[in-house]
Order: sequence, then structure tokens, then C-alpha cells
Amino acid sequence: MPEPFLSIQHVRKSFGATTVVQDFNLDVEAGEFISFLGPSGCGKTTVLRMVAGFEEPSGGRIVIGGKDVTGLKPNQRNIGMVFQAYALFPNLTVAQNIGFGLKVAGVARAEIDSRVAEMLDIIKLPASEFGARYPYQLSGGQQQRIALARALAPRPKVLLLDEPLSALDAKVRVSLREEIRSIQKKLGITTIFVTHDQEEALSISDRIVVMYGGKAEQVGTAFEIYNRPATRFVAGFVGTLNVLEGRLGNAGKVQVGSGEIVLREEPADVRSGDIVSLALRPEAIALGRRAGDDAVLAGEIADVHFLGSVIRVRVRAGDSIVSLDTFNNPATPPPRIGDKVEISFSSGDVMLLN
Amino acid sequence: MKINRFWSWLFFGVGALYFVLPLISTAEFSLKMRRGAYTPDAYWTVLADPRFQQTFTYSVLMALATIAFGVLLVVPTAYWVRLKLPRWRPVLEFITLLPLIIPPIVIVFGYIRLYNTSSWLPLTGSAMGTNLLLMFGYVILSLPYMYRAVDTGLRAIDVATLTEAAQSLGAGWVTILTRVILPNVAVAVLSGAFITFAIVIGEFVMAALLNRPSFGPYMQLLGANRAYEPAALAVIAFAITWGCMALIQFVSKFAPRAPGAQH
Ligand SMILES: Nc1ncnc2c1ncn2[C@@H]1O[C@H](COP(=O)(O)OP(=O)(O)OP(=O)(O)O)[C@@H](O)[C@H]1O
Ligand SMILES: [Mg+2]
Repeated sequence: MPEPFLSIQHVRKSFGATTVVQDFNLDVEAGEFISFLGPSGCGKTTVLRMVAGFEEPSGGRIVIGGKDVTGLKPNQRNIGMVFQAYALFPNLTVAQNIGFGLKVAGVARAEIDSRVAEMLDIIKLPASEFGARYPYQLSGGQQQRIALARALAPRPKVLLLDEPLSALDAKVRVSLREEIRSIQKKLGITTIFVTHDQEEALSISDRIVVMYGGKAEQVGTAFEIYNRPATRFVAGFVGTLNVLEGRLGNAGKVQVGSGEIVLREEPADVRSGDIVSLALRPEAIALGRRAGDDAVLAGEIADVHFLGSVIRVRVRAGDSIVSLDTFNNPATPPPRIGDKVEISFSSGDVMLLN
Repeated sequence: MKINRFWSWLFFGVGALYFVLPLISTAEFSLKMRRGAYTPDAYWTVLADPRFQQTFTYSVLMALATIAFGVLLVVPTAYWVRLKLPRWRPVLEFITLLPLIIPPIVIVFGYIRLYNTSSWLPLTGSAMGTNLLLMFGYVILSLPYMYRAVDTGLRAIDVATLTEAAQSLGAGWVTILTRVILPNVAVAVLSGAFITFAIVIGEFVMAALLNRPSFGPYMQLLGANRAYEPAALAVIAFAITWGCMALIQFVSKFAPRAPGAQH
């Protein structure tokens, strides 16, 4: 990995006696788009606010572009910030909002005007129509785009976004996240994006930091996080997960209901006779016997959800309920509740949770 | 339903009469200076009196100084407490209510004791020093209204997030206060300013005890020595106060709108 542009090193944060962030480490390359993903209260905002300088770390340091910024005030860090609540200045027009950072920096009037026009162009709001409007005359999505333009106008080193899409409705949320990503790529700005929406994180990030209890549980690409979760929490939090309980026998054999699965690797710290939890993504499981699959379980259809192109089927196998997805095929009707079926998968896709 | 209406109108009417009757009779009396006819003579006499002009000008200047100092004191304080010391808000609220409980005469005697000519800070020794002292007193008197107006204005905006947004854009405290906070509470500040104006114009106790040539003592002096002019003066004072109230109503139409809020 090349020299990181933004480096968060052993950062801790306590409020009084409660530790909210513990030993947080992250190296971000220049131009990278990182998402912080995690449940409410896991410390995403707190880490972001420490990078922005709004919160002082109880320990550790933060380096941006080779310079230690840990002791710098927020207004000395040259960081762009976008808030969930937009936070546009109500007394200023759209153009004045976008130009605020430049004006504070003492940039000449003509230069501010041209930069504001450039930013309005980037966020695709025509200056003639929107420049003179006030924030209350804009929709939520428009306000958030202005807030993005305002944060980017002074050419910050790093862009931080704290759940910028949470207050918007579903359609706008999807289109705006694509837009944020494409603007970020175009400008090549190093970005941290906080969200608790996993689809958001998985779809637009270069890498994702999954956080839990003030710690980074796993850092990786969407593919890695989803397919090779490092901890039980990550496995359960990202995507849908089927968990099968079984009894471990000899040589990596696990008895699940009436069937048997042979694990690729023998688990290290469990003994035979112990109950183990096996995890499988829905898309790793096939209805019927799929060629090449080495694990087969018998079950009964418990539930069928027709979702359009995909049909989500729930199968009862032994004591467990397993979700799996099949593609809709107009020629074959979907299975019916109560049908006796077999499900198959590759034992290589099984994740052992413990 | 109908009966309810009747009673509410009745109470409203009685209440209105209670306020309006003395005012009408004062106004009527003030027009009777010349026997047998209604004329505004009393008003001309008052307005032409050089002491009226002097004291009125003095009080207007004092009011403006009080407003300026009050804004400088209250806006940053209320802002800072909202931002950094939210737990201290009830304490501050209590302190700003004290002037309603402590009579001005107590405050002014305190001042005279503390700042007399033989004290370590002899403010009462010079006219300018006494003016300053009087202005501080007026700031105290208007504090309950000014603080409440500003605090209500601050409640309407997201102080913390706006501050952080401005900080991340490179702004320091002075810029934040003057370009972000003050413009967004300007209407609240104005309404506080008009109340302050009305208070200062009519104030008597402090000005009299500090022996400053202000409008309140002049009204009292005139009242003790003349018949028709005090009535005219009272009507003028009322008009000023009501004018201030009308202005408050007027400017509050221009309060900054929170995005998405319907008016
Ligand atoms: N100023 C503060 N004082 C005390 N505790 C705080 C403070 N700020 C945050 N916390 C606590 O720190 C923890 C992490 O908060 P944080 O806001 O970082 O969570 P988050 O991951 O952003 O959650 P969400 O998704 O709900 O925004 C929470 O338990 C919160 O109660
Ligand atoms: Mg948060």
C-alpha cells in the first residue's frame, strides 16, 4: 500500500467514564472513498468528528497529508463536512452559501463567483435558477447537494459526510448517492462517508469499515466484507445470513438435522460433540441438487416470497430455517409451502461462526 | 357555543375598557387646553419646550447605547451557553429574571454605594461616568426581555450544526457570530431592542437618583407643575411605546425561515 493520505492511529475517545471509541486504526489512500458502517451508537460519528476536529481524541493521532492535525482546530484543518441536517445558512442565498468558505478565506470576489458557478455546474443545479434562492426554497435533496457544493468549494483535503442521505426519501437517496460517488471520483477527493445503511455502503465504497462497539471490526472491500466476514458480528450485520446449528463429529463432520456436512477445514477451538453455528449466504444455497455441490440437506418449504426477478424461499431443515434466492422463471411455477425439497451448497461457502 | 362567545366578548370588552378608558380621557383632557374647544395646543407647548427636546434626545441616545451594549453582551452569552454550557441555561435564565424581582431603586443605591466619588472606581464623579453607570443599569433592566428574545431566536436555528458547518469552512468565532448567528437572530434582537427602547424612554427611578437629564424625570417634573401638558406627554409616551410594539410585530414577519418550515 502506498503512503496513506489520511491516517487515524490508535485513536480513542471517552466521554467521562464511558469509552466510545477504542484503539481505532485506519489508513486511507488519497482519492479513496471509505464508508463507516455500523449500528446506531457504535461510534461512527464520533470518529468522524475527531477527524473534523469537533471532538478531541482521548488518545492517538490523526495525520492528513503527512501532517499531524490532532491538535488543530476545526477551522484550521481544511476539511469539508456534510451533515445529515444539511445545515445550510438560512440567511444566505445558495450562491452565498457555496461561496462562504472562500469568502472566509479572503478569496477575491470574481474568483468566488466563478468557483460558485463551477460548483453549481458540478451538482447540476443551474445557477440562473438556483443561485439567488434561499435554503427554505429548496427541496431536501437540493439542499443536500448545495451543502455538498459548499463543502467542496474551498477545495478541502478530505470530505466527510455524516449520514448525508438519511433525511431523504428512498428514490432521492439512491440517485444522490450515485451522484456523490461520481462527483467524488471526478474530483478525486479523499472521502469518508458514514452510514448505517449497508446497501449504501456496499454499493458506493472503495472500502468499508464495519464498526461495532467503538471498534473497527473489519476493513475491506464490499466483496471481502460480504463474502469473508472477519467476525461473527460482521457476518450477521452485513447482508442476510442463514445460521444452521449442528453437532460437531469427527473429522470436521457436522450433523445438521438428519443431514451431514463435511467442513473443508477442521475448526480449531471446538471439540467434537460441541454445538457449532454454520453460516451461509442465501445466494450460496440452491434449491434441489446443484451440480458440484457437496452438501445436501432435506427440508420442507416454509415460506415463499415473490419479489419480482427473484423469489426468496424459506426452507425448514432440521431445527433451522434457511433463506435462499432463486431466479424467477416464467416457465416453472414457484414452489409451494409444504413441498418436500432438498437444498444443496458447497461446503467451501460455509462460514463457521464462533 | 353562542353563550360562550358572549362571555368571551364581555370579558374582552371589560378588559379593553379598563385599559382604554383612562387613555381616552387622558387624550381628551390633553386637547382641552384652550377653553371651550379641542386644540392640540398642549402638544405644541410640550414639543416646543427645549427641556423636552434635550431630555428626549438624551434618552434616545441612552436607549441606543443600551441596545448596542445589551446586544454585545447578550447575543454572545446566550449563544455560548446554548452551544457549550447547555446545563447552565436555567441558571442564566434565573439570573436574567432577577431584574424583575429586584427593584431598580435597590440596584441604583447599590451603584451609588459602589461607585461613589470616594470609591475605587468613582464613576459618579463625572457626567460621562454617571451616564455609563445609568446605561449599565438600563442594560440590567432590559436584560429579562433582551435575553428571552435572543434565546428564542437562537432556538429557531440549529446553533450547534450551523456553528460546526461554519467552522469546517474555516470560520473563526467572530465570523461565526457576525455572519451566521447574528443575522439569523436579527429579528429577535430587533424585538428585544424595541422593548429596551420603550423601557429606557420611560424609566424614572434610576435616572432621577443618578440625577441625569432624561425623559422620565422630565415627565415627572412637568406632571407636578402643569395641568394639560403632562396629559399630552403621557399620550406621546404611549404612542412611542405602542410604536415600538407595532415595529416588533412588523419585523417579526421577516424572521428567518427554517428550511422546510411553513409560514
Ligand atoms: N458528547 C457526548 N457525551 C457523551 N456521550 C456521547 C457524546 N457523543 C456521543 N456519545 C456516545 O457515544 C456513542 C457513540 O456515538 P456516535 O454518535 O458516534 O454513534 P453513531 O455510530 O454515529 O450512531 P448513529 O448511527 O446513531 O448516528 C453513543 O453511545 C453516544 O451515546
Ligand atoms: Mg451518527
